[in-house]
Amino acid sequence: MANVLGVSHTSDMVVRSKAGMSDRTFSILLVAPALAVILVFAILPLVYALDVSFRFADLTRGGIREYVGLDNYRRVFSDSNFWTAGWITLKFTVVAVTLQMTLGVGIAFLLHGMTVGKGLVRSLIILPLATSAAVTGLFWRYLYDTQFGVLNWILGSFGLPEPNWLGDYTIALWSVVIFDVWQWTPFVALIALAGLQALPREPFEAAELDGASSWRVLRTLTFPLLKPVLFLVLVLRTIDCVRLYDAVAVLTRGGPGTSTETMTFYLYRTGLKLFRMDYASTMAIFFLYVMLVAAIFALTPLLKQFTDRAKEA
Amino acid sequence: MKKLLAAASVLALCAGHAQANECTNPVQITWSTIAGFYTDAMNQFVASFEKENCAKVQVINTDNSQLYNKQVIEMVGQTGAYDVVTLETAEKAEFAANGFILPMTEFLAERPDLVEDVAPTLRSITVEYDGNIWGLPYYTYSAGMFIRQDLLDDPIEQAAFQERYGYPLARPETWEQHRDIAEFFTRKAGEKLKGQVLERDFYGVGLMAGPFPDIQDELSAQLWGMGSDWLTDEGVVPVDDVEKVLAHYVGLLKFAPPAALTVTYDGVMNQMRDGQIAMTHGFFLDQWPNAVKTEESVPGAVIAAIEAPGKRAYVGGFLLAVSSSSANPEMAMRFVAHIGGPEVQRQFADMGGATTLMSVLSDPVYETAERRPLNGEYKTLLQVFESMKGFSSNLFNTPFGAKIYNTMHIPLQSAAAGQITPRQAAEQLAADVAAICGGPCPIKR
Repeated sequence: MANVLGVSHTSDMVVRSKAGMSDRTFSILLVAPALAVILVFAILPLVYALDVSFRFADLTRGGIREYVGLDNYRRVFSDSNFWTAGWITLKFTVVAVTLQMTLGVGIAFLLHGMTVGKGLVRSLIILPLATSAAVTGLFWRYLYDTQFGVLNWILGSFGLPEPNWLGDYTIALWSVVIFDVWQWTPFVALIALAGLQALPREPFEAAELDGASSWRVLRTLTFPLLKPVLFLVLVLRTIDCVRLYDAVAVLTRGGPGTSTETMTFYLYRTGLKLFRMDYASTMAIFFLYVMLVAAIFALTPLLKQFTDRAKEA
Repeated sequence: MKKLLAAASVLALCAGHAQANECTNPVQITWSTIAGFYTDAMNQFVASFEKENCAKVQVINTDNSQLYNKQVIEMVGQTGAYDVVTLETAEKAEFAANGFILPMTEFLAERPDLVEDVAPTLRSITVEYDGNIWGLPYYTYSAGMFIRQDLLDDPIEQAAFQERYGYPLARPETWEQHRDIAEFFTRKAGEKLKGQVLERDFYGVGLMAGPFPDIQDELSAQLWGMGSDWLTDEGVVPVDDVEKVLAHYVGLLKFAPPAALTVTYDGVMNQMRDGQIAMTHGFFLDQWPNAVKTEESVPGAVIAAIEAPGKRAYVGGFLLAVSSSSANPEMAMRFVAHIGGPEVQRQFADMGGATTLMSVLSDPVYETAERRPLNGEYKTLLQVFESMKGFSSNLFNTPFGAKIYNTMHIPLQSAAAGQITPRQAAEQLAADVAAICGGPCPIKR
């Protein structure tokens, strides 16, 4: 024991003499800036929001005031606007993510099979991602314009009906979905393509020798091996869609009426138009809780898979 | 005598030099305002103020949709980031009641001419609240309406209208006539307008029914015209009245371009200049320089700025007020007086700005034909102010007016889009307003 302690002490001394500090201190110093940023920009605001959610806080009626217990949380459950916004967010997320994943993976397979011009196409499809939604959204507003827009001009040229893309409450949400799919499908495609290119060749060569059909290779080899990557993209895109704000703000401002008012847009309206920071904070905390639970359920299998692989390695 | 003059010149030179030297440390003030023409036109007047007052004015342009939020946050935080703020009419009471802005009653008592020159209707609506004067307006967006006079004057159209509706085609004096005219001029491509075959659809009216706080400005004209208001004296929404005007408005949408549900005022102006519409609803007269360009873009078009039917329309203006957290309130108040004063307002008018001062609006210089492209709406503005003399809206007299104004378009637009009925929208508005005010809204005239 003394020997062990002695050795440990010696090696610690060696590290200390070299770097002037212990490994432990050095590692803490390395993560300290990141921790400080998280503390200041995430943890403290979260704690503050939690505190505000139990108070009356109308910025134009005396600011942050007395504690009101669970009043704001009770209001969440009885607020039809909140649940409508939640339903709209859910519809948007399910449809947008499904389309992005399907199209993205399809494009990735097409690109993977390309022999010429793969680099060029890869560079081109990244363009929608290169500009913020606030800017591209403005372009899309013009594309969607009922009278001057290119989309209706094309449809009209073929004698097809010309929808009021952003003015018809029955289709406005799907217009936002189309925009989001246009912008984010390349992201899914690129990540999936990277995953495809990183797959080991041996199992595929073996399957070819065994005479496995393409469908069987796809079902039993490609997708299972690609699963961790696809799952990660799925989680990232889901989180991004759930907190959708910019596309809505630029394209529809939540309208017509409230037909495209997502959860974050409703939060924005409550907090920064009505200045009800108490209720906005409560909704944010509620939203965070739901997201946290969903993320834990979604990420646990993935993390387990990663851990198992690491152990195997 | 020559020696005396020379000595005086030297003294004057020295004095001037001394004055220039005195301004080595100018007083810094910040003006928070709206991005766009309203502010761009003001930049040269800011320079003249700086020169005369040894001040440095930093102009912060913010998009109109974000201006209110930004200013409230700075005011609540008492950050002192803004010395002079720009407020919409519905925001005045909130800023005054919360102590966000300073009363300028005492300051302006020494310059009563500045306040007295403001159009009386605007003065009571945009400047006065709770017995105080809170600044000066520098721009009015008061409404009337724009109409294609050439269509009204066309003999073929006149005869057809007379035959169909049983009364002569003329400028609408009631909202029913406005609806008839909108219906009459709504035509499909291939039909004729003024005897000419239309190559594309033509619409009777342009509406601002997009997801912006403008739909209520249009509806205000009808609601106020029927002697009602957005809030009763008891501080609640008159649901039946709102339902009635909203139902009429929804009926008008079938005579408007499909884009009506996505546009605001600039969209309607584009429709007019593109020759798509015959007239507007209640519309901001400050847009005259845009509207009149239709005469260049549409052959034979003649645009008229007239009072809205019922001689009631949305009135208001941008108020310049001094922040209570200003480090230099005295200089900030001088700046307000400078921008809202007759000298600057006259130059603003020369550039086509919609001034708020009676002395400028009623100046015959602006009635000439050569001034028409820039100031052709002034005569109508004077008529609007005259018709609405003594008018006041409870929406502008409640400290919750800004919040109500900034969110009331949501249920109204829901009804316009057909998502809910006018009755449901009116009830939703009443519920929203009650939630905002925590019950009936307090009204303070």
